[in-house]
Amino acid sequence: MSAQDPHAGARPASSRDLRRFTPSWRWLTEMMWWVEHAFGRARANARPEEDARVRIFVILSFFSAAFVCLTLGAIHAALLTATSGGGVSTHPNAVVRADMVDRNGALLATNIVHYGLYIDPAQVWDRRAAETQIRRTLPRVSKTRLDAALYGERRLLVVNRMTPREKVAIHNLALGGVSFEPEDVRIYPLGESARHVVGNVDTGGVGLSAAERAFNDEIRAAGARGESFQISIDLRVQGVLENELAAAATATEARGAVGIITDVQTGEVLGMASWPASNSRNLATAATYEMGSVFKTFTVAAAIDTGRADMNTLLDASEALQIGSRRITDFHAQNKVMTLEEVYLHSSNIGTSRLSTEMGPRVMRDYFERFGLMSRAPFEIPSEAPIVPHEWSDSTLASLSFGYGISITPMQMAAAMGALTNGGRFIPLTLRKGGRPDVRGRQIVSPETSLTMLDLMRRNVVSGSGGRAEAAGLRVGGKTGSANKSVNGRYNAAHAVGTFAGVFPADGPINARRYQILILIDEPQTYPRTGGFVAAPAVGRIADRIAPFLGVERRADPYRTAVGDRIPAFEDREGDGR
Amino acid sequence: MSPVLATLNRLYGWKIRGVRWIEIAGVLLVAAMVFSVYLAKAAAARESARISDLERQISDNGQRVRLLRAEVARLEQPNRLEALSRDAGLGPVDVHRQATVGSLPGLAPIPEPRPVVIAPTPTPNPRPTPTPEVER
Repeated sequence: MSAQDPHAGARPASSRDLRRFTPSWRWLTEMMWWVEHAFGRARANARPEEDARVRIFVILSFFSAAFVCLTLGAIHAALLTATSGGGVSTHPNAVVRADMVDRNGALLATNIVHYGLYIDPAQVWDRRAAETQIRRTLPRVSKTRLDAALYGERRLLVVNRMTPREKVAIHNLALGGVSFEPEDVRIYPLGESARHVVGNVDTGGVGLSAAERAFNDEIRAAGARGESFQISIDLRVQGVLENELAAAATATEARGAVGIITDVQTGEVLGMASWPASNSRNLATAATYEMGSVFKTFTVAAAIDTGRADMNTLLDASEALQIGSRRITDFHAQNKVMTLEEVYLHSSNIGTSRLSTEMGPRVMRDYFERFGLMSRAPFEIPSEAPIVPHEWSDSTLASLSFGYGISITPMQMAAAMGALTNGGRFIPLTLRKGGRPDVRGRQIVSPETSLTMLDLMRRNVVSGSGGRAEAAGLRVGGKTGSANKSVNGRYNAAHAVGTFAGVFPADGPINARRYQILILIDEPQTYPRTGGFVAAPAVGRIADRIAPFLGVERRADPYRTAVGDRIPAFEDREGDGR
Repeated sequence: MSPVLATLNRLYGWKIRGVRWIEIAGVLLVAAMVFSVYLAKAAAARESARISDLERQISDNGQRVRLLRAEVARLEQPNRLEALSRDAGLGPVDVHRQATVGSLPGLAPIPEPRPVVIAPTPTPNPRPTPTPEVER
């Protein structure tokens, strides 16, 4: 402070007092007094005009800066901020969850506004009349809840999930104290159809199962954008699959049944059904089965892919194969030395057991892992884990070669058969339309092996156990599987599983469009219970009906004409469809 | 002092009844700006209300469309259609009765066109062709 400071004696805080404050406070206080006494200092220096000018300049600068900031803010708000359309910021068609549609846009699940009915008893004039009229119009309303609302003291919810029609009916009663509150409800217009694929949600709109759960976040995001969410299912294919599966299961008086149809080149699931549909358990993913001779496809493929065998390799099935104390026989023994093709077409347990024991545990395990048979199917719907052997002795290898000793889910089987018939690439199955963009196919067998297996599977339908799966001109190939289930530790022939894993068209280039159909019938009660009788006919009928939807044309191949007439006379050599 | 500055000074000093013209012009400009901002805001509010109304209508119509689509999906579900078809005596078409567009000529050959017979030239009509009357 200068010596001329006239107010120096009037300072409220002397230098002694200032010592009590922290340095920053002291500095601030001194600054305030310095500004306060600036005019006095200027007058003392005989320059009062200059001081006034400085003050005016400072205030002018301050206001100018403030107005420049305001102007810049206004320009930014007017020109540079994204326009929201003037109304609400969300999409006008936004919903909590997007409509779920099939690959062609057919509706599978949607959100419809329903209403909750509320009653405020203070505004109801004649409670008895209101009760009578509401119960007559809406019989499903609970009497207890209605009474509690009408004779209570505060506004209460009487019933929720009222349809728009029910709301109009109640509204038309013109009762006092009745009000409605909208609520979004998930509706499945197809009822039980495709329920195992679509799944369901809880009352809060969170997916609980199947696609609703797997794609929960994406469905909600699509709903906020007012868009639909597509899945890979083709509703026409799904409908045929469900009808034919139900027909086959009913005809065979089965306990359960599973059907899966996939595009082998993309891994897309076009149809998936679990019978009975009323059972919420999806047998395609939540149940494991020993599937029997279908596994011979994998054993033969492994033998061909490793170069240990080809179509002309001879295998001795002239007598039963003895492994330790275990004796392996054929269902219909040929008692002769057979080629690999004959082993497959005759479904020889002895032949495939010889192949597997020759390949050894390391190779067999390696190929089973490649086919995805040893771990859960990588699929959007969580699957049951397979039951795999703990030790890989020769006896186990023999069992594995014809589909015993290992229990897998139908989804695993569908994925493995797809890999064998698409050029040897294992592509995880998916419900995402167009396939999974984040996953590339893993080469598990050579394309040549895949072509050989396609031909072998076609021959199996033409002249082997799968004859009943033939569909005129669609070149169906496949392998039957029949297994007895283990009941109380013993395999029981009365509890069987019949399977057919088919593919069509089995001819053409390796990258041609091709579809895999898996049908599994659990515990058929009609005889014979083998896959060739209980499952193969359904595969043929399904292929016949879905081919037009999938754009597969009827054509002749070396075995059959385009209308299904035989070129050479082929027939089921065993006649048992095993 | 430069001529420009001198002109500006003169303009600045131009007064009427002690009030500078430049101040009057500034006040008028501010008033015009305030009025135009008011008009723009009023128009924007009107448009905003209209947009909100349209969006509400779109939303209502979307709800109605969703309701109708759900009804259509229920009526067209494959199980129901198949049951109705079976009741009506319909079923899958037998493979022998199916044909592609390419196989149609084989099923029903296109008949050869009839040979064109050239009729003998008719004898000229002895009566003269009546000429249309022209209004005069």
